[in-house]
Amino acid sequence: MTKQLIEAYASQAESLHGILAGMDDVRTSAMSSFLEQGFPGTKNEEWRYSDMRAFHKKHFELVSGKSGIAIPEPLGDYCARFVFINGRYDEESSDIGQVWKDISIRPLANHFMANESRVDELIKGSDSVSLLNTALMRDGLVLSIPSNVGIGRPIEILHVMDGSDNAAAHVRHVIELGEGSSVSIIERFVGDDSAYWTNSVLQARITENAKLRHIRVQEEGANALHTAKAYVNLGGGSEYICTNVALGGAMSRFDANVRILMDGAQATVNGVALAATGQSHDMHTHVSHLSGNAVSEQVFRTIADSRGTTSFQGKVTVAEDAQRTLANQSFKALIFDKTAQANAKPELEILADDVKCSHGATVGQLDDKAIFYLTSRGIDPETARQMLVSAFVAEALEKVDFDDVKTSLMGRIASWMLERNADKGTGG
Amino acid sequence: MLKINDLHVSVENTAILKGVNLEVKAGEVHAIMGLNGAGKSTLANTIAGRDDYTVTSGTVDFFGKNIFDLEPHERVGEGLFLGFQYPVEIPGVSNLNFLRTALNSIRKYRGQDDMSAADFMKLIRAKADQLGMAPDMLKRFVNVGFSGGEKKRNEMVQMAVLDPKFAILDETDSGLDIDALKTVAAGINAQRRDDTAILLITHYQRLLNYVQPDVVHVMIGGKIVKSGGKELAAELEEKGYAEVA
Ligand SMILES: Nc1ncnc2c1ncn2[C@@H]1O[C@H](COP(=O)(O)OP(=O)(O)OP(=O)(O)O)[C@@H](O)[C@H]1O
Ligand SMILES: [Mg+2]
Repeated sequence: MTKQLIEAYASQAESLHGILAGMDDVRTSAMSSFLEQGFPGTKNEEWRYSDMRAFHKKHFELVSGKSGIAIPEPLGDYCARFVFINGRYDEESSDIGQVWKDISIRPLANHFMANESRVDELIKGSDSVSLLNTALMRDGLVLSIPSNVGIGRPIEILHVMDGSDNAAAHVRHVIELGEGSSVSIIERFVGDDSAYWTNSVLQARITENAKLRHIRVQEEGANALHTAKAYVNLGGGSEYICTNVALGGAMSRFDANVRILMDGAQATVNGVALAATGQSHDMHTHVSHLSGNAVSEQVFRTIADSRGTTSFQGKVTVAEDAQRTLANQSFKALIFDKTAQANAKPELEILADDVKCSHGATVGQLDDKAIFYLTSRGIDPETARQMLVSAFVAEALEKVDFDDVKTSLMGRIASWMLERNADKGTGG
Repeated sequence: MLKINDLHVSVENTAILKGVNLEVKAGEVHAIMGLNGAGKSTLANTIAGRDDYTVTSGTVDFFGKNIFDLEPHERVGEGLFLGFQYPVEIPGVSNLNFLRTALNSIRKYRGQDDMSAADFMKLIRAKADQLGMAPDMLKRFVNVGFSGGEKKRNEMVQMAVLDPKFAILDETDSGLDIDALKTVAAGINAQRRDDTAILLITHYQRLLNYVQPDVVHVMIGGKIVKSGGKELAAELEEKGYAEVA
């Protein structure tokens, strides 16, 4: 990193001192770890598919204020909606509904104020973007679901950016589920056309027999950079079900870091990524089976159009005493032509002996025979392609349990296909 | 209805059809028989519009229109149907969704409104029942895991629902057990009307016992070399292609 960049980030962290109680030392140490390693370069194996060039060139800084960008419609019925504009909670456009009667909702600042030792529970991370998030976080939600409380409709957390070309938002959400509780979170990211950066971290602790559904919809503005991480710890018999949908931004990367700490947990991390011309979406998972009798499932479906890139690196580790582990991973990619790219790198590290693991990765094109079969029944080629694409991604969206949300997502995928057809102007 | 005039077609620069002439009128059933590789499926697929077949010369007139001016799905809108020799499996797309989209696409092409979901369900249940297809197969993905015979039956259900004016059935009788053959034959006969026409491609006399053709053609080496009445099929079965054609 250049000296200028180093100084700029260091002074950003300093300027935040005193803003979140008890955080100053954490910021300082995260920042110095960040400065030691800088942003990853192309030689870094973990980051080889993420185009990080922009980060080496310019300095992204926190912005304040908002310019009155339109807030999009929700994806579906919700029980509460929290809106963050340029990384700051916006009370005016949020709708907290009635859910506060059942669960505890606090802004990040109050969380630490109530008890400074909670800073210890913050996940600092070890990669550069997590470290920066730790050093520069200003806002976020802390949701605590009491034991045995079940929340039916999802909570939508909407992130809106209307910054400028070097605006950044480092948001941190903390989710804690008491024993036997359940909640669904939709994290959504939208923004204008500037080349801003969203850097989000969500950390969740799912205790015994609790269940977290986590739907992520990355539909950032066309020039945005998006890096995000989910750190999830699973207790006995608990469940985490994540569906990540990436279709916006110029470059996006999502890392799911899931640790199965106690017996009998279930972890599902699914994903869909659609990369149009020049876009790249990178998805990483690390599911770590530290305890046995647990099941992990991963289903990823990606599509890349001309000069688009999708990548998947999926790692499963099974510790020595994590016996009777079941781990499945399936990655399928469609590429629309020779300039489109799909990268897949499955990685298994198994130390236990009583384990069933499977993984598969395929890259292919839309089946011409299937398109002809559909058109030979009167279906026009655009619709035929759309049907095949919807069928292709369906398995990865299977765990989205809310019909209205699923319909919204399928609608986005259908319009993405329409835009592809329109771009080509071929009508087929 | 369909008039083929001196049609030449090649695949990857190899001439397959070498001057096919054929006219099928409303109310008629024609059968094409011929050796493996003679070009029967090539003819069927060319009429349906598969793009790896290159028409080098000749014309196909369909209801007064040059069929090659129409996209494959538009030909279907005009009333064409092709029952495939090898129906394609489409994972992730249910039979129901597929057929409903197909039917409404055709209706849209003809300027009609979508058929309501309730009416569609009534229609498809009735047709599946007529053709002996179990209702739960409608919910399954198109042809995925279907047996050879079930795939052919599925083609017939599609034909019955889409109700084409002109149907080409490419070896729909191959791979069927005797009972299925009778059901499929009944389906074909139900589609046989004064305002429709059918072109059967088959290797076997046994289908023609149930569906009596008006004309039988023999195709060899990319050409129709002989045409006659239904007795021609019996003669072929008895004596073989070498002697008859
Ligand atoms: N896509 C293709 N690529 C290369 N050759 C092809 C292709 N399609 C057909 N052919 C060739 O064209 C010739 C005619 O094939 P076609 O399938 O039309 O025969 P057919 O009369 O239907 O035979 P069958 O009775 O075995 O079904 C064959 O020699 C076949 O190998
Ligand atoms: Mg054939």
